[in-house]
Amino acid sequence: MPPKGSEGPEPASAARSFFSIPTPIKVLFDKFPLVTYPANDIPQRIPSERRENQLFVFTDAAGARRGRPSFNPQCLKWQAYLKFVGIDFEITASNNHASPTGALPFLLPSLPAGSSDAIPSHKLQKWAIEQVHCEEEQQLNLRFEVYASLLDHRIRHAWLYALYLDEANFNAVARRLYINPATSNSLVRTALEFQLQQAARDELLKTTRYIDVADLEGDAGNAFEALAALLGEDDHFFGRPNPGLFDASVFAYTHLILDDELGWKQNRLAQMLRKHNNLVQHRERLLRFF
Amino acid sequence: MKLQLHVWGPAFGLPSIDAQCLATVAYCSLALPRQAWELVATSDPSVSPTGELPALQYGSVWVSRFRNIVDYLRQYSQGEWDLDQELDESKKADKFAFSSFIESRGQTLIDLSLYVSSQNYYGNTSPAYGNLLQWPNQWILPPKLHSAAKARTGHLGFSSLDLQALEEQREREHSAAAATGQVPKNLIPRPRDTVSTLLGRTAKQDSFRIDALTSEFFEPLEAMLGQKPFLLASDETDLPSSLDCIALGYLALALIPELTFPWLRDAMRAKAPLLSAYTERLRQRCFGSESVEVAHAFAPQSVPPSPLPWRAPGRISLAAVWEHPAVNAAESDSDLSEKEKEIVSTYADSQKKDMYLSIATVVAGTAALVGYVMHTGLLSLAVQGDDEEEEAEEDIVQNDAAFDNVVATDFLSSANLSQI
Repeated sequence: MPPKGSEGPEPASAARSFFSIPTPIKVLFDKFPLVTYPANDIPQRIPSERRENQLFVFTDAAGARRGRPSFNPQCLKWQAYLKFVGIDFEITASNNHASPTGALPFLLPSLPAGSSDAIPSHKLQKWAIEQVHCEEEQQLNLRFEVYASLLDHRIRHAWLYALYLDEANFNAVARRLYINPATSNSLVRTALEFQLQQAARDELLKTTRYIDVADLEGDAGNAFEALAALLGEDDHFFGRPNPGLFDASVFAYTHLILDDELGWKQNRLAQMLRKHNNLVQHRERLLRFF
Repeated sequence: MKLQLHVWGPAFGLPSIDAQCLATVAYCSLALPRQAWELVATSDPSVSPTGELPALQYGSVWVSRFRNIVDYLRQYSQGEWDLDQELDESKKADKFAFSSFIESRGQTLIDLSLYVSSQNYYGNTSPAYGNLLQWPNQWILPPKLHSAAKARTGHLGFSSLDLQALEEQREREHSAAAATGQVPKNLIPRPRDTVSTLLGRTAKQDSFRIDALTSEFFEPLEAMLGQKPFLLASDETDLPSSLDCIALGYLALALIPELTFPWLRDAMRAKAPLLSAYTERLRQRCFGSESVEVAHAFAPQSVPPSPLPWRAPGRISLAAVWEHPAVNAAESDSDLSEKEKEIVSTYADSQKKDMYLSIATVVAGTAALVGYVMHTGLLSLAVQGDDEEEEAEEDIVQNDAAFDNVVATDFLSSANLSQI
């Protein structure tokens, strides 16, 4: 509001009661050079105009540029699924703190333009079905959910043990993938290490009183055997012509278990998996998508 | 010597309150001849060196967990006691997949039904544990199991089935609002009315999430069973497999218990009539047509004989507590695997360390107290000495001050003089 200091005492005395600004300060602010600077530019690394869908996963910068498979099974599952159903997307290296739900992966769709609503992983399949009208595979076969429980429990538990609680692997693989990129502060690293290992331990102890490695590995071996029997001679699970969600879920673990570039120190899971030739070939077939 | 199967004791008319134990009892009753084994309702996981029930004991050999017991029985009988020997490759695959499915999803539903639903826990489950546990375990174990079940299902966000948690949340929000000052009543946030709070009020009201959860569990099993007598059977003459035992363990706990708030049983009867009939049929075959009472387990001679080979568990005595297997297992059990031995011995070591630590704490505490008393005594002597010194110092200070005063008055007077 422009100052009216020179207009005489009548209005000033009425307004002076409570809200009026003291005259000296008013005069000062009248002279104040009010300049509005233009907004800062968006950082260079964010593309000025988003043309692609952006999938945020655990990966490193080089992997993100070349669209390599993520090193996190959950992320890799959805990355592979979106590739299999033919949706174009770019991947961006990220971590859990960036996600609206607190867990990766999530996707920022390119359409509608300017939308900033992220799609969390449990809604990705619905979104993909809307985009490309692929099938909802769970409905097609009653064994889908049943065999998926092998991956979500038996193999996942063995994976948690192998990656986080096996000290040799933890130091060689998990530390390099999850902890070192997060910070260079050794105190924070120690805290992160502890948190990661404790989270894995808590998860395993939810169902049993103590962690029995032989049991975990035996269960995982049986799970691989069951999956190999389910796949049989087919190219893809459930005899589908194209790979789908179940193939992506299996690939997410088989690829990472068989991936020697991760630098596993001990890999009992790979030894068990290599006994089933069809699962190994299944992984190699699907790796060509990347 | 007979094989002894140690389990959680009977409840709800079933031989055990725990699904894994029920599965193992079913397996033994189907696979083993009656005179080969005994069923002991120990209800105390600490009897087994692995700290888990069900546990199979043969002399000094202890085997726990369903799959390990099945493997052990097969080895023990040289392949004779094996319900799965007829299965071909694809059926074996189904067996692994369905048992993983039943164990993971079924456990969740049973946790929600028996433990997380407050009415059921306080009205049925907790009293059932009270009947079968001995002092002092009846005060220690149920709350532990209760919180473990809550932890397992926490991620589902069904905590509002849990009236206790709901009440806590409401109080917290209310006190937070009250603490911020005079917030108008209509601005105080009301606790979210989730589907499950509605469910908490009446069992009749719809609950989409519970509905989805039960459908996901029962529908594949119902479809798999179809008109067959057993889950993996291909014709009428086939025998039950180990998968049927696991299914019975979880489904019986969903179907049989008479609960205050029977949402799980209602859902099972509505969605899976064939599965309900199958569960009832298999239950009679494995556990007998009469419902199992606690008396069967604790005084097998006094009641009409049960089809299960019950044997009364020994009472816990002080000596038994002292001779606790977990404490002595590291030396005695030679049949444990290396890893198990390691775990058990670490546990035993840590218990011994705890004891030494508590002794050391008491000794150190006493020493500290005595030391303190002595110290205060010495201090009072020292204080007297200190007082004298201080008094002397004060004298000096006073002298200095007096000197300063003199100087100041001199200065003042000289100033006065100059003014004059």
